[in-house]
Amino acid sequence: MPEKTQPVTRAVPAGRTRIAVDRVACTGHGLCAQLLPASIALDEWGYPIVTDPEPATTDADVAIRFCPARALYARP
Amino acid sequence: MNELLWYLSRATGIASIVLLTTVLVLGVVTSGRRLPTGERATIVMAMHRWLSLGMVTFLIGHITTAIAETYVSIDWVSFLIPFTSAYARVWVGLGTLAVDILAAVMVTSLLRHRIPERAWRSIHWLSYAMWPLALAHGIALGTSAQPILRGITIACGAAGAAALAWRTTTTYADRDRRRVALAGEWS
Amino acid sequence: MTLIDLLDQAGLTGRGGAAFRTAIKVRAAAEHGATLIVNACDGEIGATKDAWVVENQLDGLLGGARLVAGDHPIRVAAHRGSRAAALLAAAGVDVLEVPARYVSSEESALISLANGGLARPMTKRAPFVAGGRDARGRRIPPTVVLNAETVWRIAQIAEHGPDWFRRQGTALEPGPRLVTLTGAVAAPHVIETAAGARLGDLFGAAGGLLDAGLVWVGGLAGVLIPAPEAARLLWSSTDLASYGGSIGSGVVWALDPAECPVAFVDHMLTYAAGESAGQCGPCMFGLPALAADWHDLAGARSGRAVDAADRLAARVALLPDRGACRYPDGIARFAASAARVLAGHLDQHARGTCPPVRTTRSLVNA
Repeated sequence: MPEKTQPVTRAVPAGRTRIAVDRVACTGHGLCAQLLPASIALDEWGYPIVTDPEPATTDADVAIRFCPARALYARP
Repeated sequence: MNELLWYLSRATGIASIVLLTTVLVLGVVTSGRRLPTGERATIVMAMHRWLSLGMVTFLIGHITTAIAETYVSIDWVSFLIPFTSAYARVWVGLGTLAVDILAAVMVTSLLRHRIPERAWRSIHWLSYAMWPLALAHGIALGTSAQPILRGITIACGAAGAAALAWRTTTTYADRDRRRVALAGEWS
Repeated sequence: MTLIDLLDQAGLTGRGGAAFRTAIKVRAAAEHGATLIVNACDGEIGATKDAWVVENQLDGLLGGARLVAGDHPIRVAAHRGSRAAALLAAAGVDVLEVPARYVSSEESALISLANGGLARPMTKRAPFVAGGRDARGRRIPPTVVLNAETVWRIAQIAEHGPDWFRRQGTALEPGPRLVTLTGAVAAPHVIETAAGARLGDLFGAAGGLLDAGLVWVGGLAGVLIPAPEAARLLWSSTDLASYGGSIGSGVVWALDPAECPVAFVDHMLTYAAGESAGQCGPCMFGLPALAADWHDLAGARSGRAVDAADRLAARVALLPDRGACRYPDGIARFAASAARVLAGHLDQHARGTCPPVRTTRSLVNA
């Protein structure tokens, strides 16, 4: 089965945070979609679909702090 | 002046237990259920965080006025170290113990993203011990002359107990599915 | 030239399915002093090539492992009770016994198991070659996982050089490769070949297709291809891409013509749903829903079939990149391929019939 590798990516633009979801930690609280409506939508079971992985840092920081499961994180 | 401090101490104490109970219930709601949209969960989490700060404000008032007033003898040491107060050693001690736990919970929560997740989680679980300690402290010490204060404290007890009972009996799909998966052979 | 230079020049990529450049992994392993876990599990459905390496090239395998790991610990992972596990234990190798679950042989699942956890994938914030943390926050030391065939190829490249390696295969997919040919073929077995071989020739090497009308390439993470088209196709990720697939872990399975392919896909998707590790919402709820959608599609009368097909397509689109590992991605690829290739067959089902899917033996060497 193919491994999940980190592809080589370009640098994160200034003032933006590249977000990712720890899928094992995520239990579907749904706060991230409320706090980052332009970046995250929820599927029918309440789990996040990342539509824009680089929201503004000010908004991303709040969402990362508020996730009750600490499942949203910033990555390089 | 001293009488004012005494009344303030009890007033801020009542405010603290009411807020603590509210914060507890909000926390229990967060951990006990999952809804398909995040609207209510966000409001609950925001209130849980903000009211806990409000509670700390009232609690600081409660502790400083209790120490400052001279009607009963409680000093700064017994604010931190349980069961060292001259007045009502055991009941004040329970309050002190609750404050010690609260301090750990607050510090770990403020530093959550800098400490291992399981450290944060195990300290946060101590909140379930903190609340009954604070409640017992409040019922024993703060309410003798005023039945309404006792009534409020007991109502907090009932509300918290109901929330805890719900928490122990409720479940949600994510939790159930994880439990089913874990029952399989994985080692 | 260092080992890493040799591997870099040779262009060796992982033979376990992900096809990651091996030189990069080995370099990172050396930099971090990583423990090596050799994956000899044959985790993909139908695969037996890792067992073949253990049985026939054990010296090469262990030699390659020592080249990669140096003085650091080496463990070889194999499913509990498998022949490979027995052979390895008899040879005095430190065997990591893996439970018989599909996702348990995934790279991070092996690392978790090796560190006292369950054999379930872990979130990879960064590659585990640099070390990381498990789901409970415990530290995981630097660990690298390489497929058994890959490790054997490393030994071969060290001995024969990168030019020997590059003489076989294609420019983009160089080097010899093992392929497991199985299912409705006269002589199922593991064959050494290379990318760019004609699938028709591979069928011939396995004694020919036994009337199979469909070929399943890449296992549960792979795709279905009609046999006549497959016979003309080159076995390479470049060519298989037009069917949405890739070489993957090197399995080519001719489907049994006696079984309705729609029913076969039904069984596979139901099995897949049960094999979810149950750690990530989109997988643990999405895969059972996908299986249910296919089941609806298989049994739908013409009016409902379009609805079911749309639902399936929507669900498939929501699986990739939404789990801790690539398991749901693979199942989505498989389901999408099945929906495309079996569209005609599904139409027949909607009309109440199930047509036979056969081909003639004359297509063996087309």
